Amino acid sequence: MSNKLIDIQDITKSYDGTIVLDKLNLYIRENEFLTLLGPSGCGKTTLLRILGGFETPDSGNIIFDGKNINQLPPNRRQLNTVFQKYALFSHMSIAENIAFGLKIKKKSKAYIQDKIRYALKLVNLEGYEERFADSLSGGQQQRIAIARAIVNEPKVLLLDEPLGALDLKLRQDMQYELIRLKNELGITFIYVTHDQEEALTMSDTIVVMNQGYIQQIGTPEDIYNEPQNAFVADFIGDSNILPATMVQDKVVKMLGSVWKCVDVGFGRGTPVDAVIRPEDIDLVKPEEGTIEGVVTHLIFKGVHYEMEVLANNYELLVHSTDMVPVGTEVGIKVDPFDIQIMKKPESEDEEAVGIEE
Amino acid sequence: MKNIAKKIYLTLIFLLLYAPIATLIVLSFNNTKTRSKWGGFTGKWYLSLFHNQDIMNALYTTLIIALLSALIATVLGTAAAIGMQAMKSKIRTFLLGITNIPMLNADIVTGISLMLLFIAWRFTLGFSTILLAHITFNIPYVILSVLPKLKQTNKNIYEAALDLGASPVYAFYKVVFPDILPGVFSGFLLAFTMSLDDFVITHFTKGPGIDTLSTKIYSEVRKGIKPEMYALSTILFLTVLLLLILVNFTPDTQKEDKKKSRKITHIHKISSLIFKKAVPALMVIVITAGGIFYHSRNQMSTQNQVIVYNWGEYLDPDAVSMFEKETGIDVVYEEYETNEIMYPKVQSGAIAYDVVCPSDYMVQRMIENDLLAEINYNNIPNLEYIGDIYMEQSKQFDPENKYSIPYLWGTVGILYNKSMVDEPVDSWGILWDEKYEDNILMQDSVRDAFGVALKYLGYSLNSTDLDELEAAKKLLIAQKPLVQAYVIDQVRDKMIGNEAALGVIYSGEALYCQMENPDLEYVIPKEGSNLWIDSWVIPENARHKENAEKFINFLCRPDIAKMNFDYITYSIPNTAGRELIEDESVRNSTIAFPDPSQLTNCETFQFLGDENDTLYNQLWREVKSQ
Repeated sequence: MSNKLIDIQDITKSYDGTIVLDKLNLYIRENEFLTLLGPSGCGKTTLLRILGGFETPDSGNIIFDGKNINQLPPNRRQLNTVFQKYALFSHMSIAENIAFGLKIKKKSKAYIQDKIRYALKLVNLEGYEERFADSLSGGQQQRIAIARAIVNEPKVLLLDEPLGALDLKLRQDMQYELIRLKNELGITFIYVTHDQEEALTMSDTIVVMNQGYIQQIGTPEDIYNEPQNAFVADFIGDSNILPATMVQDKVVKMLGSVWKCVDVGFGRGTPVDAVIRPEDIDLVKPEEGTIEGVVTHLIFKGVHYEMEVLANNYELLVHSTDMVPVGTEVGIKVDPFDIQIMKKPESEDEEAVGIEE
Repeated sequence: MKNIAKKIYLTLIFLLLYAPIATLIVLSFNNTKTRSKWGGFTGKWYLSLFHNQDIMNALYTTLIIALLSALIATVLGTAAAIGMQAMKSKIRTFLLGITNIPMLNADIVTGISLMLLFIAWRFTLGFSTILLAHITFNIPYVILSVLPKLKQTNKNIYEAALDLGASPVYAFYKVVFPDILPGVFSGFLLAFTMSLDDFVITHFTKGPGIDTLSTKIYSEVRKGIKPEMYALSTILFLTVLLLLILVNFTPDTQKEDKKKSRKITHIHKISSLIFKKAVPALMVIVITAGGIFYHSRNQMSTQNQVIVYNWGEYLDPDAVSMFEKETGIDVVYEEYETNEIMYPKVQSGAIAYDVVCPSDYMVQRMIENDLLAEINYNNIPNLEYIGDIYMEQSKQFDPENKYSIPYLWGTVGILYNKSMVDEPVDSWGILWDEKYEDNILMQDSVRDAFGVALKYLGYSLNSTDLDELEAAKKLLIAQKPLVQAYVIDQVRDKMIGNEAALGVIYSGEALYCQMENPDLEYVIPKEGSNLWIDSWVIPENARHKENAEKFINFLCRPDIAKMNFDYITYSIPNTAGRELIEDESVRNSTIAFPDPSQLTNCETFQFLGDENDTLYNQLWREVKSQ
């Protein structure tokens, strides 16, 4: 892809002695949709606020377009933020809200008018110029907040859980809207969320964070299919994380049986974690499976059925479009590609250790 | 049933709450001066109110002080609230507590402490000290109404503005300020109202010649309530009511109800219009005008003026204007209610008064405390019109006649009803006659009551001899069963209404009673009585001593003395002035002008010292509790 636009170097930040970000390194490329994903308190919002200029890092540097912007106040950064709670100016009309940044830049009236019309068209809210924020729905307000930010032609748009307050349907619509916007504008989006589905849907790159450390960086497919540790596996979608031992390269022992896999280089006899996504488990006739089990729970989820299968004293989570009634004896099969082997953490600390690039 | 009870209860409460104000408003439109009779609807009190220069000045001062103090307090308070909002919550709570204290503190404590502070800093009490005091007590109200708004404000909007390129200052004015504007506005209105309302603090921090409406009303009411005061109070009440309504209806922009939003925006626009256009415009006008007004007044008055500190209603205002016209000296006039209020003000030296009018014992006390300057009698040629006997009497408190010049005087005596008492009255003894059981009125004040008993026993009314006082006490206790009531002001009304046969009363009051009820007669008992004299003195720290002497000399002129007698109806020591009184019956009234022989046994009260004061009070308590 293209060049590094933002380079985050060794950023550390703590509040009242609690470390929120610890020597964090990350770069963001031009025109990238990058998502910071993690549970609340993982440091993702703090990182975004440091980029926006609302917080100063204790140490480390933010390099933007080749220049250090550590000391640059927010009003002079070429970034714009879309806040979680929209932060529209309630005493101004929608048009005045959108014109706010442009007026400060002393743009001409005609230019501002053009921009307002263009921005409202972009967010599908044409004709809303004279409305006030409190007469709009949450989704509309969020789109206005985005419009207000993008008219300033920032190089980067920072979005802090912008869809957090919306209901499910609206959230899904807005996800497509955001992708479309990003493609039309051709600018970099840095997006903060704790919703893994949102992250997987929209991002070019996902950065999974926990307790101030980066756990994994990768494309949505990488993150989903090849989580590098139990935290990522657990956080991204549902998964079965099973204790296992490497018999040799491409052979793993788990659930009291030996399975083929594709991972190499862990060493013989090494204890590892094996991750299997629920939808990757095939339920077959008992004699056709690698091991046997019994269906103990069955729930209809709409798109698929969710089942629990007891095998060798382990409860396995299975997603399937075919229903298998409770009590049925089944065989369990997993494609070697769908078994993801992860190093076992030796201590709890290690679980949170960042991965250096 | 329950509902009816509820309604009745509510009605009763509102009646109780608003009946007094309703009465006031009704009376302000009453065509007669008496409170008891409805003489038809009239607006004349309002008209005469607006023609009263003093009241208009006071109104003006009130508005300027209220506007300026509210404005400054709003700026300071808003800044403080923003600072506090940015603090950690523990410190914020603590600070909020501290800022709330002045609000809950008794006004009188705030007032006195401010006065002491101003005096300690050698401020001259006046316009600026009132303004400072009002700013001080207004700030907490502003903080209290701005802080909740700040808490409500979405913290992100300030950051959003910065993010869009606004500088911190621009972001504050464009984004945060409009958001907290309702709070700031209601803080301003609240401060304005509080300032308009305040009496106690203003009373303690004001200087001579400056009055706000509340202190003006207070000093006017003391002289007897005029219907104009009802009108003024009505206007004040309605103004405050209007302001409070404005404060409470200031729109809340954070409403969720979307249907209302259009309307809210509308109201919001109006309120911001008021705040952005009307209020500043009004302020600019009032302040500029006020500035010019005070500037011109100061310019003409700084040099050639005389600061007079006198009892309320104790000088004909026309005489003051005459003096100003004749001499070109500007009179700054301030009034007090009692000697005890006047004394500390003069003593503190916060205001350099030029002429003060204390009573006899207070003159003595001021001399003893070196508060008075010797008067240069060469500058007061009109002294010759003052009767020698009064100068002689003055020696009781001003032994060498060096510090004081008698102004008004009077006696204490017995007022009796000729239709109920058919024997000649010439002794205090009649107050112990069992014939008049339940028909006797005594003064409910310690020195007056003991004065009567001591005089009857043949002692001095300034006695500090324990045996004499004990005897007087016993006498007063013995009299108790005969006494109908111990009262002060009601002696007048009760005697006029034929409700009692005998009463102890001041001569000035007696003259009035006699005019109302010809059956009444006044006598100074032969044992002697109290003769009080209020005299002009010049404080040590007077800055315009020569003007003060001109002023005193002017008041000693017979025609002016006569003017004052007509206005106040208290006895004047000015013999030549007395001769000018047209009405023969008044001129020769033995009540107003008793024969000197009647005064031979009379004494003035003297200051007996704090210890003896306590003793008197204790004995008086024993009498009353028997």
